[in-house]
Amino acid sequence: MWLALREIARSKGRFALLGGAIGLLVFLNLFQQALLNGLVTDFIGAVENQNSPVLVFSEQARKNVEGSFLSQDQADAIAAVEGVADTALIGQNTFTVLAGGDDADAVLFGYELGGLGEPTALVEGTLPQGANLAVATEADADAGFGIGDEITILADGGPVITVVGLASESRWAVTPTLFVSYETFEAAQLAVNPGSEVVLPSLVAVQPDDGTDLDALTDAIDASVPGTEALTNQEAIDGNPAVVNTSQSFNIILTLGFVVVLVVVAFFFLILTVQKARPLTLLRAVGAPRAFLVRNLVIQIVLVMAAGIAAGLVLTFLAVVTAPVGDVAISVRPSTAISTVLTLFVLALIAGIASIRRVLRIDPIDATVDAA
Amino acid sequence: MPALEFHEVNKTYRTGGTDIVALDHANLTVDDDEIVALLGPSGSGKTTLLSIAGGLLTPTNGAVHVGGNDITSYSAKELTQFRARSVGFVFQTVNLVPFLTARENLLVVARITGLPSKTAARRADTLLKELGLDHRAQNLPTQLSGGERQRVAIGRALMNEPELVLFDEPTSALDTSLGEQVMELIRKEVKGRETASVIVTHDTRMTAHADRTIHIVDGRLDAGAAQPA
Ligand SMILES: Nc1ncnc2c1ncn2[C@@H]1O[C@H](COP(=O)(O)OP(=O)(O)OP(=O)(O)O)[C@@H](O)[C@H]1O
Ligand SMILES: [Mg+2]
Repeated sequence: MWLALREIARSKGRFALLGGAIGLLVFLNLFQQALLNGLVTDFIGAVENQNSPVLVFSEQARKNVEGSFLSQDQADAIAAVEGVADTALIGQNTFTVLAGGDDADAVLFGYELGGLGEPTALVEGTLPQGANLAVATEADADAGFGIGDEITILADGGPVITVVGLASESRWAVTPTLFVSYETFEAAQLAVNPGSEVVLPSLVAVQPDDGTDLDALTDAIDASVPGTEALTNQEAIDGNPAVVNTSQSFNIILTLGFVVVLVVVAFFFLILTVQKARPLTLLRAVGAPRAFLVRNLVIQIVLVMAAGIAAGLVLTFLAVVTAPVGDVAISVRPSTAISTVLTLFVLALIAGIASIRRVLRIDPIDATVDAA
Repeated sequence: MPALEFHEVNKTYRTGGTDIVALDHANLTVDDDEIVALLGPSGSGKTTLLSIAGGLLTPTNGAVHVGGNDITSYSAKELTQFRARSVGFVFQTVNLVPFLTARENLLVVARITGLPSKTAARRADTLLKELGLDHRAQNLPTQLSGGERQRVAIGRALMNEPELVLFDEPTSALDTSLGEQVMELIRKEVKGRETASVIVTHDTRMTAHADRTIHIVDGRLDAGAAQPA
């Protein structure tokens, strides 16, 4: 510690530069993860924060809610599968609406009131108690989706929906979302498609019997009802095409960030070690064991990483608190921050291997020969 | 008991198929408070001899005893410990850690050996004072003159209270009067501690400060080198 600290004290500039670079990279990394979380929540909040543990899609939809339509026969067959306690229809579509005096897009989730598909993150007001009432998304309250606001489905005979409650983190596809009764959804569908005779549900929500294994149940539904794909709530979220695409893009950037940290730390300490090869050789020659020098190197790596990470966390905190990105709610999950920090420490130690090997290779006899 | 004994020590460097004999049947005895000057031309094997005595290099064959212990039987780990505890070395070229002050360059020795920091601080301050460096204690090596740097190196070599101190051309980078001063200082420090020392030089004027002068030519020592004065 003694030697490591003195060296840092005498080359404050360099170490501060490295610490600062690490801090910025940590900040970038955490902020991107926060942004990703926010985006994902904005994409699938409506499914994440509803009460049905299992959702059944049509098979061709490939986990895409917009592409999923089920028939009444399929809905009946699902209800008959062993382990299913209860089912309910869910209808979902995007409509052009008049809200707050402007045309806007809104997603409707129609569910059987009081049953499956009900929003769970209500923060204000009440759940809809009848037709043409809705829980809207909190983030859109100021855009004509506040409590008491009326939203008109733009079509001949389109229902006028009144907002009675607000739910947080319950948007779908980054669009204002309304949770309405299934009948209200049907009315909206028929208004925009006057020729159609029936409205097909998008999904069937399933309540399993107590103690039923969810994976086994979804397998059973897939097997016994042709043309369906049953997913747990989490599977529906993770498999959502928008979430999959966004996560993939972000993960590439995040991985690159980690690689940059690895390379920067590795080169910094390797250059430093090569530059001070003479004094290190001298120390070995006057009796310093290899472990003494390696310990000093590792202490320096840990200290610089700790300082950089602390700076990065502070920056991230300030950014998350002070700078909302559009209306995407960004937040850093503690578990994300902890795993990022641990990963960085492990990477930094891996990055140190090159320098450690260099230190181990020092031959003290070289202290007796000329620097040339 | 003699501080240093070489008995029929050979050192051969093997480079690219040719053998270079750097030490040829060297016999040498240095008494426990004796100052020996080792005088010889460039390439005669002076640094090689010091490196073997200081546990940095193992001889091709022969026996080397320091303070009665046969160091040729030591493992690499034991040699490291031997260097830390039993010898002091002033090298021909680099002697100081550039990012440590004069005082810290002494203290780092104590950090290596694990000496309690109070004892270490007292010892370092005494040495710096004796070497006339008390006002330079907080300076980095780059802020010191050549003579001052050499004095810090001497202090560093004495920090672990060694039984044997080895100086490899301690005055070669200094002008004659400064060289004389440094030799005087070495004599004072070493004699005051009853420590044996070998001082390598190729400057005959510096031998006046030694108890005895031994010549080395082509790896061969004077015939009488094994008899202490
Ligand atoms: N690592 C080595 N490999 C090969 N030959 C070496 C090596 N070290 C020293 N020698 C050779 O051994 C001989 C003695 O070298 P040494 O360094 O001991 O001489 P020296 O008396 O200290 O010379 P100088 O006064 O120039 O420092 C020289 O011929 C030198 O070239
Ligand atoms: Mg030499």
